[in-house]
Amino acid sequence: MKAGLTTSVAMHVVLIGAGLISLSSPRPLESSNFESFPVEMVPLAEVSQSVQGERTAPVSETPAPEPTTEEAPVDNAQNIGDNQVDLPNSATVPGNRPVDTASAPPPAEEPPVPEPVQEPEPEPQPEPEPTPPPPAEEAEAEPEPAPVEEATPEPAEEPAIAEEQPRELVQLPTSAPRPQTRPQPQQQVAERPEPQREPERPTPEPQQAQQPSEESEFNADEIAALLNRDQAQGGGAERSSEQASLGGRQTTGAVLSQSEIDSLRSQVSRCWNPPVGAADAENMIVSIRLKLDPSGALDGNPEVVSGGGSTMAERAAADAARRAVMRCAPFNAPADKYEAWADVQFNFDPSQMF
Amino acid sequence: METVTLAAPGGDHSIWALFWQAGWVVKLVMLGLIAASIWTWAIIVDKIIAYKRMDVSLNRFEQVFWSGQSLEELYRTLADRKTTGMGAVFVSAMREWKKSFEKGAKSPIGLQTRIDKAMDLAITREMEGLEGRLGYLASIGSAAPFIGLFGTVVGIMTSFQAIAGSQSTNLAVVAPGIAEALLATALGLLAAIPAVIAYNKLSADAGKLAARMEGFSDEFSAILSRQIDEKVMPRAAAA
Repeated sequence: MKAGLTTSVAMHVVLIGAGLISLSSPRPLESSNFESFPVEMVPLAEVSQSVQGERTAPVSETPAPEPTTEEAPVDNAQNIGDNQVDLPNSATVPGNRPVDTASAPPPAEEPPVPEPVQEPEPEPQPEPEPTPPPPAEEAEAEPEPAPVEEATPEPAEEPAIAEEQPRELVQLPTSAPRPQTRPQPQQQVAERPEPQREPERPTPEPQQAQQPSEESEFNADEIAALLNRDQAQGGGAERSSEQASLGGRQTTGAVLSQSEIDSLRSQVSRCWNPPVGAADAENMIVSIRLKLDPSGALDGNPEVVSGGGSTMAERAAADAARRAVMRCAPFNAPADKYEAWADVQFNFDPSQMF
Repeated sequence: METVTLAAPGGDHSIWALFWQAGWVVKLVMLGLIAASIWTWAIIVDKIIAYKRMDVSLNRFEQVFWSGQSLEELYRTLADRKTTGMGAVFVSAMREWKKSFEKGAKSPIGLQTRIDKAMDLAITREMEGLEGRLGYLASIGSAAPFIGLFGTVVGIMTSFQAIAGSQSTNLAVVAPGIAEALLATALGLLAAIPAVIAYNKLSADAGKLAARMEGFSDEFSAILSRQIDEKVMPRAAAA
């Protein structure tokens, strides 16, 4: 019995030892940690265009864009407009910046097109030289000063039209498809100021009042040019017959996704040297507002919205934030969502670093 | 910014770790089953050796017995030795024969009966030694799975109670308790399976050995009966 017992004990010790080594900690199952979620197909147009309407139209229960005039429907069109080809509605970028004209070619190119033709004339010669470098400023400056000047002299003559005109002029940059409406006010502007300004102000005319007059001379070409470009640029091909009511003019997909926001954030945080060693990190939160052009570069100086207070440390924090933004300057962001990141604000919070 | 830290639940899932994190009841059951397994194998090894030895000794005795050697001589050589198996049966029969015959037994029937009884007793004693601990194997083979199951049930019970306490049904919470509980059943089966197989094999082997010894005792009984007829009857007739 002794032999059997010793053999058995030895065998068990060997077996258990081998088992502890070979059966120790089975390799965990390699399962990637993913979450499953039901995938649905949602027609995007219903969501994205649910608030599409006119900015100036009265409020109704459901927002609706201006009714279209074309009747022939186009298949699979998603953007409302009179076009034959479905194109996205032109971007209405907030703020007056030269960026707009770069992204939207027609207004930027308007002045240079007619002007070279006018070169033989003596008067406009000083103008084309200053205009090409800041083409956008002038392009947008054009309509704005005109109504201001108009408004003062005109109310006596045509109060009703004078009130309507500035509205339409203000609408112009915001409403994207403007093949019919755009040229008309310009003609009106061109016609009316002429008789009034000539007697009143002879000196300022060469700069501001004469431009419209020159445009009026080349009306036919300009309208044709505008028509072509505007049709190509603004508006889709889906037809709408409802009455216009209040809503957003452009509502398709201009929201940054979380990953795009994170991408922007990581780009900035990589360039950021947070201020170290200062007390009261809560006071050093800096908000910086940037305006970006479509290439992602800074457009103008970043503006410190909040933070950057009185003490040295706070000012250093604000400077650090501004430096970070400027160092990272060409940001990578989806170009098709430019409207969403044209104007962004970064909050730099050093208290989260510690 | 929300930081989500996924705690890695219990890095070590080796059998050793499973044993140590088990409750004391389960631990006791597991220890008992390991002891049972050790005992089972001790018996198995012991019996295999004993049966082999017995087989060899039976063969050798048969060889000697049927070699034509005189029974008296054989008895004299074996009597003062420690004998096993057929040798023990032969010695017990010869001892009874000598006691009765040399003192002048009157009844041949009584002598025959006594010799048979002595041989039966010797076989029984031999088989007692051979089949000695096979009963343990039978008990372990039938009871060990139940003992292991008991440990598993207790372990799963406690682990479910713990899960109810932690209010999480995550598999990472459930799994270690169940794995540890199942270890008890595994150990029970580990002890029971060899025990059952060995019990069946060893009891069959013991039956064969017993049959061989029974056969020898019958044969030897026949030889002695003839001798009784030859030696006792003339003496009785003469008397």
